[in-house]
Amino acid sequence: MSDSIRVAIAEDSAILRDGLVQLLADRGFEITDAVSDPEGLHESVTRDLPDVAVVDIRMPPTFTDEGLRAAIELRRRHPTLGILLFSQYIETRYAAELLADGAAGIGYLLKDRVADVSDFVEALVRVASGGTALDPEVVTQLLGASRKIDSLSGLSGREREVLSLMAEGRSNAAIATTLVISEGAVEKHVANIFTKLDLPVSQSDHRRVLAVLRFLDS
Amino acid sequence: MIVLSEARLNQIRDFGRSAWREPFSSRAWHELGFFMVSSMLTGVGFVFIAVTMGAGIALTVTFIGLVVVAASLRGTRGLGRFHRTLARGFIDEIIEEPLPFSARPGFFGWLQSALRDRVGWRAVAYCVIKVPLSVFGVWFAFSVWVDAFFCLTYPLWGAGATRPNEFGVVLNLFPPGFLSVQSSGFIHGLFIFFTGGLLLLLAPWPMRAVVFADRRLMHTLLGPDPVTARVRSLEDARAQTVDASAATLRRIERDLHDGTQAQLVALAMQLGQAKEKLAEAGDLDIDEVRRLINDAHGGAKEAIVELRDLARGIHPPVLDTGLEGALSTLAARSTVPVELTVVLEERPTHAIEAIAYFSVAELLANVAQHANASRASVRCTQHGKWLRVVVRDDGRGGAQPALIGSASSGLRGLIDRVHAVDGTLEVNSPAGGPTIMTIDLPLHA
Repeated sequence: MSDSIRVAIAEDSAILRDGLVQLLADRGFEITDAVSDPEGLHESVTRDLPDVAVVDIRMPPTFTDEGLRAAIELRRRHPTLGILLFSQYIETRYAAELLADGAAGIGYLLKDRVADVSDFVEALVRVASGGTALDPEVVTQLLGASRKIDSLSGLSGREREVLSLMAEGRSNAAIATTLVISEGAVEKHVANIFTKLDLPVSQSDHRRVLAVLRFLDS
Repeated sequence: MIVLSEARLNQIRDFGRSAWREPFSSRAWHELGFFMVSSMLTGVGFVFIAVTMGAGIALTVTFIGLVVVAASLRGTRGLGRFHRTLARGFIDEIIEEPLPFSARPGFFGWLQSALRDRVGWRAVAYCVIKVPLSVFGVWFAFSVWVDAFFCLTYPLWGAGATRPNEFGVVLNLFPPGFLSVQSSGFIHGLFIFFTGGLLLLLAPWPMRAVVFADRRLMHTLLGPDPVTARVRSLEDARAQTVDASAATLRRIERDLHDGTQAQLVALAMQLGQAKEKLAEAGDLDIDEVRRLINDAHGGAKEAIVELRDLARGIHPPVLDTGLEGALSTLAARSTVPVELTVVLEERPTHAIEAIAYFSVAELLANVAQHANASRASVRCTQHGKWLRVVVRDDGRGGAQPALIGSASSGLRGLIDRVHAVDGTLEVNSPAGGPTIMTIDLPLHA
């Protein structure tokens, strides 16, 4: 399914780096490079531009948010490069910084997500092809911190589920599979949500994500 | 008979040789200048205090009186600063700055803070005590300089006068009329001139004594008071402790993040892969699944070991049963053979036991890494209310307390922790060894 998606990996923990390389190679990705620090990543991306970079947030030298800085810098230089940030913590501020210039080709996932290999691979493919993949944790935090409680409480339980999955960046088809309902039902829910929240209807998945995120954030 | 050592005799001889140069030394003149300026300031200060405090106390029946007293204290605080500046400028005496005045918010807050300002009251005490000291100084020390001046210059202007002006201690040294020999001829002039020379040689010493007394007085009353100094050292210790514990938490988070967390993620990744492979019922690659599960199994065991080491690093459970048990585990794990002695009549508090334990752990780690020692010993004994821990090794020595702090943040942390409970760490490590580290900790903190 992912014949020749080219991936660069930046992760300072050797055990995780090797694990990722092995897992992604096994799933048919082409690994262009696996490095342990931001400089290595910059060089590698400049040398052979991959489709997507999997970037650990905490890397040398200070082990704070080097990965995020590197990601933002890389996006500026290579707008087509997909970035999947990969971390053991979810920080809302990081998500906000990352999404400041749009949600196309952006992902932010907890490292735990690799345990569900198919989901992880699916998210990586989505990011590589210009989509969005936000961790459910990010969405939960955004929903929890949102000041639009009044509008949100107008949604039904199912609609809230759909909203969350939409915010994660999933397509209607993926939402339908996850919730085990028909795609038509999903479309109906989505239309209802956009009407209730008074959002502009948008066709492309990542625009839709952005609209939802802006709504939650404002 | 008093037997003086060779060194002492040399000292006295040197002093004898250099004493005559003293009136021409910069120190003597600086002390004289300091005395004159600070005595004038004392006069001004005394008048200021007398007037403002007098007015304030007279008015205490009204509220205004309190305000005047408060203002007087603030002013005197400034005088104290002026005295400190003089001391630094003239005689190189560094008086530590007391805490700056900090007023509570609002006018009444200011009033209350000013009235309770210990620094201000102590400055008042200084200015008042300085008055008799200055008067005494004029009589006892300043007079010698003045008389020396008059006697030495007598031949220049003495033609009309029969005797030079003399006052103060000199007046009492000589019998009345001693300097006014009947004939005021050449011999008389010469005699007075030589008397002046003698006085000049003596002049620096009484002044030095007076200034010395002033130095002590300034340190006592114009520097930070003992309570403030204690508070400061406690604040420092607290800041160190807070920093150290924050650093410890950060280290633990880092260890968890880089170690166990990463291992568990890798483990979940391998198991996830294996699970999906098993689900591909069609062409099951059993060797691949076996490899994944093998790796996961190994990773799980490693994670357990790492987590155990980390937990022990935070707090060794055996420490709860007492220092001896914990230290014997530590000694047994050391790569250098360690002889352990623990003789304690009462059990120290948990915090002290923990500090002692981690200190020994740090020191033994250093012995193993740097000392090149063949054996070491750890001795815990009780001295009254103190726990003494001595770690000794027969290595190459040369550990220096000054270097310890910079060489290893672990040891820096150790010193901070020991100081935080008013303990001490003494390093005795001559080049070539042996090294003896002595830690004294209060039993209860």
